[in-house]
Amino acid sequence: MFSKLVHPTTKSLKIIIVGNGKVGHTLTEQLSKEGNNITVIEKDASVIADLDAQFDIITIKGNGASYNTLKEAGVEDADLFIAVTGSDELNLLCCTIAKQFSKCAAIARVRTPDYSQEVAYLRDKLGLAMIINPELESAREMARILYLPTALQVNTFAHGQAEMIKFKIPEGNILDDMTIANLGKHVTHNILICGIERAGEVVIPSGAFVLKADDILYFVAKRDEARKFLKNIHIFTKQVKNTMIVGGGLSTYYLANELLHTGIDVHILESSFERCNELSTLLPDAVVINSDVSSQEGLLGAGLKDMEAFVPLTGIDEENILLTLFAKKVSKAKVITKINRINFSDVISDLDLGSVVYPKLITSEAIIAYARALRASRSSEIETLYHIFDSKAEAIEFRITEASPAVGKELKDLQLKKDLLIAFINRKGKIIIPSGSDTIEIGDTVMIVTTHTGFTEIRDILR
Amino acid sequence: MNASMIIYILGHVLRIEGIFMLMPALMGLIYQEKNGWVFLFMAAGLFLLGFLLSFKKPKNTTIYLKEGCVITALSWIMMSFFGCLPFYITKEIPSLLDAFFETVSGFTTTGASILPDPEALCHATQFWRCFTHWVGGMGVLVFLLAIIPMSGGSNINLMRAESPGPSVGKLVPKMRQTAALLYLIYFFLTILEVFFLVLGKMPVFDSVCTSFATAGTGGFGVYRNSFAGQSDYLQWVVTIFMIFFGVNFNFYFLLLYRYFKKAFKMSEVRAYLFIILGTTLLISANSFQLFNDLPDTFRHAAFQVASIITTTGFASNDFNLWPEPSKVLLVVLMFVGACAGSTGGGIKVSRFMILIKSIKKELQSYVHPKSVSKLSMDGSPIEHEVVRSVNVFFITFMILFTASVFFVSFDNKGMITSFTAVAATINNIGPGLELVGPTQNYAGFSPLAKIVLCFDMLAGRLELFPMLMLFNPKLYHTKPFYTHKIK
Repeated sequence: MFSKLVHPTTKSLKIIIVGNGKVGHTLTEQLSKEGNNITVIEKDASVIADLDAQFDIITIKGNGASYNTLKEAGVEDADLFIAVTGSDELNLLCCTIAKQFSKCAAIARVRTPDYSQEVAYLRDKLGLAMIINPELESAREMARILYLPTALQVNTFAHGQAEMIKFKIPEGNILDDMTIANLGKHVTHNILICGIERAGEVVIPSGAFVLKADDILYFVAKRDEARKFLKNIHIFTKQVKNTMIVGGGLSTYYLANELLHTGIDVHILESSFERCNELSTLLPDAVVINSDVSSQEGLLGAGLKDMEAFVPLTGIDEENILLTLFAKKVSKAKVITKINRINFSDVISDLDLGSVVYPKLITSEAIIAYARALRASRSSEIETLYHIFDSKAEAIEFRITEASPAVGKELKDLQLKKDLLIAFINRKGKIIIPSGSDTIEIGDTVMIVTTHTGFTEIRDILR
Repeated sequence: MNASMIIYILGHVLRIEGIFMLMPALMGLIYQEKNGWVFLFMAAGLFLLGFLLSFKKPKNTTIYLKEGCVITALSWIMMSFFGCLPFYITKEIPSLLDAFFETVSGFTTTGASILPDPEALCHATQFWRCFTHWVGGMGVLVFLLAIIPMSGGSNINLMRAESPGPSVGKLVPKMRQTAALLYLIYFFLTILEVFFLVLGKMPVFDSVCTSFATAGTGGFGVYRNSFAGQSDYLQWVVTIFMIFFGVNFNFYFLLLYRYFKKAFKMSEVRAYLFIILGTTLLISANSFQLFNDLPDTFRHAAFQVASIITTTGFASNDFNLWPEPSKVLLVVLMFVGACAGSTGGGIKVSRFMILIKSIKKELQSYVHPKSVSKLSMDGSPIEHEVVRSVNVFFITFMILFTASVFFVSFDNKGMITSFTAVAATINNIGPGLELVGPTQNYAGFSPLAKIVLCFDMLAGRLELFPMLMLFNPKLYHTKPFYTHKIK
């Protein structure tokens, strides 16, 4: 009886999170909701008081790199150790010390470009499970959107072969008033619509569902099929030619770097002269403009009206939102808004902010996917995980490694849970949009879209 | 205010009380007593009522500290009311107020009785009377947390309102697991005590009842003369177990997880044991001429010190007849109380440690007015918030105490009686001195005094503020104060 309490069920992990800023907070919330035993180490007493009142976790005040604090947190028998303080060096040090006397998997957040070139080296040498760079990840997501500007969001699966694309059906589009069954007959049958959001409600649709203008649609398809489909329904699919980025922080560097590599012109507005100098050294191909970023004239003078895309990255959410709204008003540019901190997703989804990117969610998605994979049995592994529709639904890609009750049977014979969809099966690089007679086999990767949360392995799709 | 959640949890509390009442009903069955039926019907009624109240789980299950306080205060009052009905219905305590007093005294683990002769009770009622101690010792809401899965971290607000001590820490990350662990330790120690008592040839029923009363640090005796007539061995067993139950339960948790060094370094536990040892020696020296036998003196002194500091309230000897300095020491111990996070009452050793450290710091600041020093305990600094809350607690305690003594003094029973009656109830001990001494009882007080003492017992057990919150008018404004009407 005691032993069960002292060593609780294997399904929940013992996780230590060092630092509770934006990402740490999101992680604490998500991981504790999934039933894990969480200990948070944090320096700030007021943050600790808030955490205690909000979550069912243990908090320890202290420095996560100190041996005594780690011991107090019980690092010896922890399963997962996540260091997400504001400092890269501290994160790496925390993980290194934790690894000295624990077998836990360690994840560190490392943001500065100085280390980002050496991520693989650092990870191997320090024995870490994962090094994450939220700025880089969000820059990549923003870049993906700018390659396909009509999309609100583009997520990739199966190593980039399949894409899940989010877009809004415009007024007067041929999809308006079309049932999903008709879409399959008349337009294309190579895509799969996996979720629709209408007036705040998320539906996983059936064939009889009638699409309307202003619906927000998620669909999955092979990369080229997706583009073909968008062209067929007369939606512009060309990547942007140029982009204006406001603010010259870390994320600007990462985004500009991504965009310049694919031949998109980048204009950067930054108010500090020294930073402008640094940026022009780092990014010789970019146009760096030293100008006050918060003045209309400055933006217009820098040529905002001629831009095809506009991305404010000032580091202040409120300023970013205002800049986006201004850009929407004066230009036709595709806008992306990055929200670091503020937490009013209901209000944000009401504003017309174009694509909204949350770096803290991108980071936590990757870590949560890893944590779930640790919890799962060995029969399947989580390859990728995305939260879609403001975390109301999840898209998970599983790698099937062993036989399980969900494997080897025709899909129509499986007793699947409600509100769940098998979006595609990737068999040796071939993307199959499944029908009832398809099967899941060992070696496949399978993508599931569901409004359930907490799936850790493929058998969770069964009732 | 999340009223539907308050009702929902109160419903669960009633259901649990209903289940608890099946135990005395079972005793009634074993001993072939008619009163068993009363408990059975009460149990069924409570379960039904609780079922109705908690039928629908509210959508919004978030509770803040204020709801936690209200739930705690109301559930203790409600439990005491329904818990007193069997005494009243069976006519074993003919007055409803007396029955209520007895039950409040039971649940708050005070052990102040209005019964002149507990041996006259039938087995079922006797069992229920002692069982209220066991339930009240660890707290019924902690029990609730242990068995009912409730999501979200806001449940710590329930535990915070019910658990004794200046700050509440969880043993393990999950609330539910923490609560279950606490009850397991509690249960195990209780069983252990029953075992040792039975080994000393105490009847099984009496051992179980005595263990319940020790575990909750309650002090309802099964015998007319409390523990005076028992063998030396039994008195020692009870002494040791009283001390055990007055220890911060974190100590046992650390032992369980094999952090022996850390456990024995807990400064509160050390101070607690040191106070027990010190006062025992002082009292032994002072009252030696009374017994004229070293082992006897030491045993009685140790028994009494353990009984008072843990706020149990058993008596192995009528300490009302002891010399004055010994009596004063015992009265001081009444206020010190047990460790935080134990089942004992009083102001708590750790609060006194913080207060004394504050005095030291103040004295130092007279020498070096600009000196900065942070209070610390067990090697980690004490947050200002904790120090502040300890100070406020102490002042509130003193004000409530003085006011209560004033109200009780209308009975004209003498200063010492009034003073120790309030001290013994607000600190959840039981017997005081003179007219409320170990051989006396509380039956002679007026209804006003009894109501005041009932309030003191509940306030003392729930660490003052949950009970005082009920009198906070802001609580009953349904709208938050910052929403103004816009014209």
